[in-house]
Amino acid sequence: MLTRLFTALLLLAVPVLGVYTFVTAADHGWWMQPEVSTFGQDVDFLFYLILGMVTFFFVLTEMLLFWFVWRYSKKDSSKAVYTHGSHKLEMLWTAVPAGLLVLIAFFQMSTWAEMRFKGSFPEGEPFAHVWASQFDWRFQYPGADGEFGTMDDLESPYEFVVPVNQPVKFVLHSRDVIHSFSVPAFRLKQDAMPGLAIPVWFQAEEIGEYDLVCMELCGWGHYKMAGKVRVVSEEDYRAYMAGLQSEFMNTGMEG
Amino acid sequence: MDLTTCRRSSAALLAGAALLLTSGCDFEPHAADREYALSENNLGELADAPDVQATILGALEMLYGTPQEPKFMVTSDWRSDGYNPNWPTYPKGEDGGGDFTDEQLDALYADNTARHAEALALVEAGDYDAVADTYLPQALVQNWKRLMEDKAAGQFDTDGKFDEAAFKDEARRTLVEFYPTLRQSADFYRRECLHCHGNSGGGDGPTARFLSPLPRDYRKGVFKFTALADKATPRREDLFRIVAEGVYTTAMPSFRRFGDAELNGVTDYVRLLAMRGEVETRLTYAFLDAESITPDDVSESYLDVWAKWTDPNKEVITFDGEIPAPTPELIARGRELFMDPAKGNCFSCHGEQGLGNGASAWETDSDGVKHRIKDDWGHDIIPRNLVRGVFRFGRKPIDIYRRIYAGINGTPMPGLGKSTDANGDPLLPGDDMWALVHYVRSLGEKEDGFGLDAFSVVEAMDGGVDPLQHGAPHEGANDEHHGGAQAH
Repeated sequence: MLTRLFTALLLLAVPVLGVYTFVTAADHGWWMQPEVSTFGQDVDFLFYLILGMVTFFFVLTEMLLFWFVWRYSKKDSSKAVYTHGSHKLEMLWTAVPAGLLVLIAFFQMSTWAEMRFKGSFPEGEPFAHVWASQFDWRFQYPGADGEFGTMDDLESPYEFVVPVNQPVKFVLHSRDVIHSFSVPAFRLKQDAMPGLAIPVWFQAEEIGEYDLVCMELCGWGHYKMAGKVRVVSEEDYRAYMAGLQSEFMNTGMEG
Repeated sequence: MDLTTCRRSSAALLAGAALLLTSGCDFEPHAADREYALSENNLGELADAPDVQATILGALEMLYGTPQEPKFMVTSDWRSDGYNPNWPTYPKGEDGGGDFTDEQLDALYADNTARHAEALALVEAGDYDAVADTYLPQALVQNWKRLMEDKAAGQFDTDGKFDEAAFKDEARRTLVEFYPTLRQSADFYRRECLHCHGNSGGGDGPTARFLSPLPRDYRKGVFKFTALADKATPRREDLFRIVAEGVYTTAMPSFRRFGDAELNGVTDYVRLLAMRGEVETRLTYAFLDAESITPDDVSESYLDVWAKWTDPNKEVITFDGEIPAPTPELIARGRELFMDPAKGNCFSCHGEQGLGNGASAWETDSDGVKHRIKDDWGHDIIPRNLVRGVFRFGRKPIDIYRRIYAGINGTPMPGLGKSTDANGDPLLPGDDMWALVHYVRSLGEKEDGFGLDAFSVVEAMDGGVDPLQHGAPHEGANDEHHGGAQAH
């Protein structure tokens, strides 16, 4: 009796603690950062949609498990009975998840297209080429000639400066292994593949500094591979570029 | 299965899981070195004299402290001058080093103010307990805790009443004038640097063996990249730049996520380790020369090495004037100099195409085996492949200028800035230095380093174009993304 109660309560603790963790996560600062990019809301909608479905079925199955253990456990001496199961039930729990998966697939299509399809990419030259390497980020901007790959390209480590409320396209590269360019506040994540130039875009809606992290285990220094995306006003963006430019032409006279 | 067996097997399962979870942990407290060690070379030289090893380690501990309590010994002369190298941000004469200029201090405090803005706002609002919850450097959290303890102990009470104005001043000062002590910087070093650079700065930390190139061994006092002429020992600014910007395409990343105060602090500690290593070697060879080490040897090497590191008269390589534009003529002139054995002679190591495959980068040993030449640390030298357009010390014109001017310390890369030809005239007069700089920079320009465009790969699969075919007609997105790279 006691063992039965204990086991059943243990199983009950799983959904209760699971839901409790999620509900209180935000109070502990464990939840997602506020989204600040144009497709952030769509991504969050999909996230919460899936989270809602998962929560429903998680709680349902866990409660059933608890209930079966509590209600149907027999004394130690009793013999188990063979049952063939229920075809109807099995069809139900195959068809419903399958239907939900199709639903999710349809729901996410427009968001995915907006983020990744070529047609939705902003026109024109990219703002920067972003180079991932073990274990830091480099940001390469066109110099005075506005072209990449020329002698006057500007380069800066750690900090990616972009203007606010403008679609920012950049090209992602890796110099060595697979890295992943991820800005959680933008709901943006893209792997960097060695040998591939991968176009990525986002549009940040709020001025501020956002964490840039490598989200693909890239070696022992992976945890060190941090950066910042600094979203600034158009004016500050020009000032920053002018600063990079004058630093580039610096001859050491100013110390 | 009866209940007891069941219980027993679950207990065994639990124990197994616990074992699995902790199997990666190292419970040996001595796994991390708690003391500075002699370098391998010096240890070899002193293998027969364990007492001398102990003498040297003792002398070094007196001069530089221990990893837990690192400090520069303050000589009596320094003390009477009011000079203390352990407090670089304090003005000289107030028991400080006065190592920073006023402008540098202002910049340092401005950086602190910006980084600790949230905490400062809480101080202004009088919400002192919430300060510890904001994001602060680990060392500053310690300082803040100490301040709050002082507050609780009644240190800010006048006539039994809490003097809020005095406390606010002190709290502001703690946050704005934050600068880690050497001990706190040693903690920082152990968290961020030790795993590659090692406990004694020997470049022999546990992760070092995975790296190519290997991490710097500070103890020779030779650092490859500085802005200084004459192979001088680096200034604080030179080391700071390396820490802040990293050494590109090596495992040394940019540490800009930490504030200027913390990075300057760790630079102090790196300097301590470097000086300690040099003194160690000097004492070792003093013993090998004279069969004994005198107190004079110790103080002399300490002061010598200190003077070498802190010499205020090191020449920073600058260029007075505007950088000449990289015209095709200037670049062509640079190519000439690159290939001229009497001038640049660059091709001998960097190769005629700048691919880093020149013949001089190899040597044949007595057995007739060809191998790469070695640098001061005994590692293989691979001359820079200039066509990649990636430079460890930065790709700005002045960075390349400084490399050509001063060379690379610890390697055969010569400094041409002060070289003269057979007639005693400057080797690279007028714009010749810049011609070479621009030529080297132009080599990187030709690189199609932008790789395959992800869209063009998809298009290629659709349309049968081979993206691997160099110069194959790319259309649409490809041109858009490649931009100028393809124009060349």
